[in-house]
Amino acid sequence: MKTLRRTWNRLWGSVLIENSDLSDEIQSHIDMQTADNLRAGLPPEEARRQARLKFGGLDSTKESYRDQRGLPWLETTWADLRYAARGLRHSPAFTIVAVLTLAIGIGANTAIFSLVNQLLLHPPGIDHPERVVGVRTEYPKLNLAFNGSSSSDLPDLRSSTNVFERAAIVRRGDLNYTDGPAPERLRGAMVSAEWFDVFGAKPLTGRVFTPQEDQPNLNRVAVLSYAGWTRIFGADRNVIGKVVQFDQTPYQIVGVMPANFEQPWNTDVWTPLGLDPQLYAPQNRLNESFFLAARLKPGVSFEQGQAWMRVLTERVYNAGIPISAIAKNGNWSISLVHYTDDSAGDNKPALLLLLGAVGFVLLIACANIAGLMVARTSVRARELAVRAALGASRIRLLRQMLSESLVLAIVGGVMGLVFAAGAVRLILRLAPENAVAGLNTSLDVYVMLFCAAATILAAVLFGLMPAWQVSRTDLQGSLKTEGRTNTSDSRRQRLRSLLVIGETALALTLLVVAGLFVRSFLRIQTVNPGFNPKGVMTAMYRLPLAQYAAGRDQANFHRALLTNLRAAPGVVAAGLGYPTPFSGDNQAGSFQIEGQTLDPGDPGPHGDRRFISPGYMETLGIPLKRGRYFTDQDSADSERVAIIDEDLARRYWPTEDPIGKRMRVTANNAPWVTIVGIVGHVMHWRLASDSGVGVYYFSLLQGRSLPGATIAVKTAGDPNLMVGVIRDAVRAADPHQAVHTFGTMDYYISRSLDTRRFGMRLLGFFGAVALFLAALGLYGVISYSVAQRTREIGIRMALGAKRQSVLALVVGQGFRLAAVGVAIGVGGAALLGQYIQSQLFQVKSFDPLTVVATSAALLGAGLLASYLPARKATRVDPAVTLRCE
Amino acid sequence: MFLWESNRSMEQRTDVWQGTLALMVLKTLNALGPLHGYGIARRIEQTSENLLSINHGTLYPVLLKLEQEGSIASEWGVSDNNRKAKFYRITRSGKKELAAEEREWQRANDIIARFSALGGESS
Repeated sequence: MKTLRRTWNRLWGSVLIENSDLSDEIQSHIDMQTADNLRAGLPPEEARRQARLKFGGLDSTKESYRDQRGLPWLETTWADLRYAARGLRHSPAFTIVAVLTLAIGIGANTAIFSLVNQLLLHPPGIDHPERVVGVRTEYPKLNLAFNGSSSSDLPDLRSSTNVFERAAIVRRGDLNYTDGPAPERLRGAMVSAEWFDVFGAKPLTGRVFTPQEDQPNLNRVAVLSYAGWTRIFGADRNVIGKVVQFDQTPYQIVGVMPANFEQPWNTDVWTPLGLDPQLYAPQNRLNESFFLAARLKPGVSFEQGQAWMRVLTERVYNAGIPISAIAKNGNWSISLVHYTDDSAGDNKPALLLLLGAVGFVLLIACANIAGLMVARTSVRARELAVRAALGASRIRLLRQMLSESLVLAIVGGVMGLVFAAGAVRLILRLAPENAVAGLNTSLDVYVMLFCAAATILAAVLFGLMPAWQVSRTDLQGSLKTEGRTNTSDSRRQRLRSLLVIGETALALTLLVVAGLFVRSFLRIQTVNPGFNPKGVMTAMYRLPLAQYAAGRDQANFHRALLTNLRAAPGVVAAGLGYPTPFSGDNQAGSFQIEGQTLDPGDPGPHGDRRFISPGYMETLGIPLKRGRYFTDQDSADSERVAIIDEDLARRYWPTEDPIGKRMRVTANNAPWVTIVGIVGHVMHWRLASDSGVGVYYFSLLQGRSLPGATIAVKTAGDPNLMVGVIRDAVRAADPHQAVHTFGTMDYYISRSLDTRRFGMRLLGFFGAVALFLAALGLYGVISYSVAQRTREIGIRMALGAKRQSVLALVVGQGFRLAAVGVAIGVGGAALLGQYIQSQLFQVKSFDPLTVVATSAALLGAGLLASYLPARKATRVDPAVTLRCE
Repeated sequence: MFLWESNRSMEQRTDVWQGTLALMVLKTLNALGPLHGYGIARRIEQTSENLLSINHGTLYPVLLKLEQEGSIASEWGVSDNNRKAKFYRITRSGKKELAAEEREWQRANDIIARFSALGGESS
């Protein structure tokens, strides 16, 4: 307590420069002593002398008093920092270059880290995100794996109370909102009761769902997202308790979530799932149409949760119900994934790669500043020598050099933070919407900490090297030589050369990686998706079941819509289908082949399933290989027909002609369907990799229909003109139905490349920054070397050396440095290549063309960087330089 | 090595000295009430019957330390013979501090006294 109080007072003593009245006090003390001495009979002179003697050393008293008043180490540090700041102010060019370089390095790192933080580490709106997991289902024997699960897995997880705190399932449940000025489609999520608790999310106003509301027909309540609330209801506080029409059914709005919670996707509105309890029963196990999210109990690790999932899987195998055999045959299993990894998806490897890239940029920036500081030490060698001669210890000089690094780093770090704030804003504006949805531009405490850590790391990186140099410098030598070259100078120059080689190597490695991604991207763009997207506009609709309960009514709507579309002007072909390629939706299922008996242990045939109308294949230009497409004659009353793709045909009818064969979905009493055509395989998710799963197409207009589909319309002209055509066609079929999510096929394919494209651009940008910084470093070294060799160059020219040979001398020096750096960088890129191979497309991780192109770019930049000082060297007037000493 | 050790022991001695001086200051102020620096120095010399001769200057850092700890407080005033001087007085927490220090000192004294009483028999 006492010590604390004293330290506090001393801290204030250090900070406040108050006028001490010690001198007055001492004066009064000595006066009193003198007076006493006089009284004792001493002569005035002697009285005063004795008084002084008695008091002791005035200066030493004042000094120990001052030391006691403040905290000496704090004051020296402060003095060092002030001295460093003053020194930096006196060389503005150096300071500006160093601070800007550093700000770019730290800013880029902080900006990318802010994305990593929001997407992977601390996604906004989720309490303890590391404890939130999703369930993944795998069927290794069917070559099938996806993040999703069955409703019957929910009771298993919820009863595992020793592992999971909460668990909930969600299913996409978009809704039509027709109370507004125009019918609108809302992005909906149908969730079981605990959904919000899994994420620890609390409503902004109102409440979330009760377990009672999570039941069939009691689930007519809704919670709005902040975005939905503002967009649709104008952020009206009185909306709570209001009844609105969704899908022509009354729903009561009970709550609004805060802006940072939109899980599981950019949700407008959540409604209770209200599943029939039957669907939670074990026999519905392999009916995977949900996403299951759960919260691990505190203290339960992800690995422990994972182990528990294996136990649950075993339980299903041993349950002894019919589903057990199917599960076992497919080698079915459920496991956990980190929820943040699931929601980040493809962004995760891309982000980590970018984080590595900006790390390189920061290293290069540090090497650059270290080089500048080493150069600065040679200029200041005399100043340092004088200070040493006046009694400053090496430790003291070192401290002073490190103070300078610290001041630079702090200024650079603060500027870096400002840069980062701008960069994040820019990235979020330029980045593809689906990659950065829900991210915000504010820099939270983790980002601040990261920035501080990067700053300190940078200060150590670029500060230690020059400081070490100082500690080795021959100070007497510097005093004697008066700025002429000496051994420590050449040692410093060698060190700078090493730094330049290092940063050139780093820059080349980064450029090669960026180049590999550019090449991959170019390759991907030439991939044939298996259909012709040109001139195709798509849009989606979904009929409310309240009005279109019967399959026949749904089919009638589809048919009417199709007739309207075909008759519209400008339409070359039109069709309906679900799910369409690159839409992000998919359907898959097992099927049976007539006459085929399965071996015990064989899970049976499996494939992706599509429902399409006549005209769909023609609209998308999916090539017919054999047989025929669907026609208008394939009606509800005629024979049921199917089309399969080549992959499915090859896999399940390897030796015979599938046309005329019959298949049916794996269910009791499902009708048999005759295969009438074989078409080419269509890529469904992304151009870079195909799922490898064969596809079978059923008719949307036969049998059990679907309440919604995607409209595809092909035109010879501008596909955007088809938006109005589609709207008119839907309105003519039923004026109450909403049509939404318009987008050309080209757009969907391009969107599937968005993340890759954006990552490639950022990588390219960082590569360019690295190239620039490396060239800047080389320029600095060569300029300094030219300045040092002015005399030598002058003598050479006086002795008749040609301009060209001087030019060659200097440029050659720079080129050699760059070439060594490039050689090391090529090695580095080769080593690094294996780690990024999985993200490349049809490009080897060591791609000669990329290496040659990037090396040429870097050497070119190196030549330019050495040419500028070399040209200056040739302009030297020999007469002047010889006199210049 | 030798140099380092001797430096260190000197430092310790100063620490002890400072601590003792602080105790004397507190004791003096407690007994006599507010005093200026010169007065304190004189009283300490008189009490020790001039066995203790200090450089008066060393007193001031000690006074500052005590003031920072809150054991004493100071105020400018006028001395008996009309001289401007800074007067120090002991505070309530200073009195508590003094009592504790005295107990501590007494204990140390007792221990040393017991050892002294052993005499030179064993040697």
